[in-house]
Amino acid sequence: MNPHETSAAQVFLSHHDFVKGVALKYAPWPGLMEDITQQVFLEFMNKESRWDLSHDARPLLATMTRHVAMRLWRDRTRDQPETVRKLADHIRLLAEERDTPPRYEEEIGVLRGCLQKLPEKSFELIQLYYYSDVPTPEIAGRLDMKADTVCRALSRVRDKLRECIQRSTAQGGQAHV
Amino acid sequence: MSDQAHDTGVLFQLYLEGRLSDEEAVALHERLTAQPELGETLLDHLTMDAMLRSSKEAAGSAEIRPALLPKRRFTFATLSGVAALAACITLLGTWALHSLDGMKPASDEATTASVAVLTRGVNLEWEPDTVAPAPGSPLSPGRLRLKSGLAQIEFYQGARVLIEGPADFELVSSGEAYCTSGKLSAHVPPQARGFRINTPKGAIVDLGTEFGLDLNGASAEVHVFKGEVELHRPAVPMQSLKEGQAMAFASAPKALAANAAAFATLNDLDQRTAVSQRSQYERWQAAGTGWNADPGLRVRFDFQDSEESRSLQNLARQGAGIPAGSIVGGAWTEGRWPGKHALDFRNVSDRVRLSAPGDVEALTLTTWVRVNGLDRAFNSLFMCEGWGGGKVHWQITREGKVRLGIASRDNKPHTDYDTPALFTPERFGRWMHLAVVYDPAAKEVRHYANGELVAKLPVKTIFSLHLGMAELGNWNDGHADRVAIRHLSGAMDEFALYARALDVAEVAALYEAGGEDSRK
Repeated sequence: MNPHETSAAQVFLSHHDFVKGVALKYAPWPGLMEDITQQVFLEFMNKESRWDLSHDARPLLATMTRHVAMRLWRDRTRDQPETVRKLADHIRLLAEERDTPPRYEEEIGVLRGCLQKLPEKSFELIQLYYYSDVPTPEIAGRLDMKADTVCRALSRVRDKLRECIQRSTAQGGQAHV
Repeated sequence: MSDQAHDTGVLFQLYLEGRLSDEEAVALHERLTAQPELGETLLDHLTMDAMLRSSKEAAGSAEIRPALLPKRRFTFATLSGVAALAACITLLGTWALHSLDGMKPASDEATTASVAVLTRGVNLEWEPDTVAPAPGSPLSPGRLRLKSGLAQIEFYQGARVLIEGPADFELVSSGEAYCTSGKLSAHVPPQARGFRINTPKGAIVDLGTEFGLDLNGASAEVHVFKGEVELHRPAVPMQSLKEGQAMAFASAPKALAANAAAFATLNDLDQRTAVSQRSQYERWQAAGTGWNADPGLRVRFDFQDSEESRSLQNLARQGAGIPAGSIVGGAWTEGRWPGKHALDFRNVSDRVRLSAPGDVEALTLTTWVRVNGLDRAFNSLFMCEGWGGGKVHWQITREGKVRLGIASRDNKPHTDYDTPALFTPERFGRWMHLAVVYDPAAKEVRHYANGELVAKLPVKTIFSLHLGMAELGNWNDGHADRVAIRHLSGAMDEFALYARALDVAEVAALYEAGGEDSRK
């Protein structure tokens, strides 16, 4: 890896949460954000010799991410049933029309603190579903609950985490408190 | 579909899992259409779902039961860990989507492309639209076009080269350069033996010595002052030149006597540097009187207090009610020039306590700072005590971004105003002028570095700021039981606070008077 490639990789790394935020805005499909980020990384590195790394990389990364997001969105939703595709398009429009800029970059750091404040049972649910990749029907079986109850519980935990992040960022986020 | 499945929380979860049936997709779509506010909630769930998936890496492998883990494809979160760069390199190799021959072993250490450093310079003027490094800058391979002045470059292998402008000089590696015009002298210690300077007419390979090279005239000349050099020319046998010998080698070779007096020496550089620094220092001192009289200036510390003093005198004429800053822990050190004082912040306790004005409508903060490293998440410049009520935090993030944080006030939200990353390892150890302006009239926050605008950020909600007790180089977070460690690792040798918004020209003037050429 030559020095410029190393620098390009470092620039990308310092902005990858920004890229994820933009990816979510233009392609709000579950799990797609990671794929978009990977692809933007590859395309950014593939053309690294063209980039002037002394300038702010955000405008460039935002444009690249938008293009990749649109492309992967089409690929991912093309084969979905029509009902799901229409729903997904509706959600994508909602995301694009959102006034607020992507908050992912700011919130991901705050999330870690909020996770630590979760009640034990809620954290256990997060661990099983997100960190151990146990599907919700299997979690239901293990915890002797109905699958729908697990789904609702996960939704509630996400709501709680959202409230915690909003409280924390209103007080200044991790930079000031 | 059960009634329970129509529960919005369940529909959200099924959407996130990609398990919605046709009927459920229609139900959710209809609900989103009928209740637009629900769309916002779903987007929040999508974002949270993505963040939770990404936070898996940070959650710690001890929490994960491997037996339950299905085989997963690579997730980009890998890149955000400590070994981010290593993962990056691994990725490139694994996917092999573009050829990267000679890939080195992965490393989680930061890297630099530099091969030399511009250690000193006097009256440096670079050709327009070319690289214009300041003294102290690490230099990467590439061309330097010096219009005038004297530049001392030290190669990482140990050779030291003194270049007189005008000169066209290209760094090739830590032991090699290419020069097409100009005049230079080189000191090559034994450990840099083999140092090579190529020219269009031939190459000089040094065997541990001192020599001069003059490419300004029609006849390129090499002069050997000490030791021995090899002169390699195309289609001509290598020629050895010893101490006291010189040769014109542009066309027909002609033996000459070495003339050390024709080349700039380290002594010349020392003398010219001293004169230039003195001049810069005097210029800065003279400008100080005018700055102190600025009607908007509330605090100005020039750090020229006696070295026995444990306080910084406030020189602002309109800051009569604001007492001297109190030095806690910081040690005196040398500032931008010989004779200029600075305070060194090293320890967690080091700081300057000051009483800033209460409420201000507009604000400008400026400082000269030398950052040694960013080893904490947040590194303080000027920090109001505590947080909230329109207070201000000016600090540098670990990523090297300069951040002005303005706390919420009267239910108006807090906002951080960040620059792009300014402080990279190559910037460490060098003096830098920073300024930030909160300008309610223009509804923007402007960040400046070395007199140049580096970020202009819109301010959506305008309100007056509240300063009060504050600290330079550290932060008292107001907690009795724990105190955040946020001290600056570096030195500061000037600070000013204005209760008005300085414009671009005013900030540039402050920087110019700080002395670009002589900065160490």
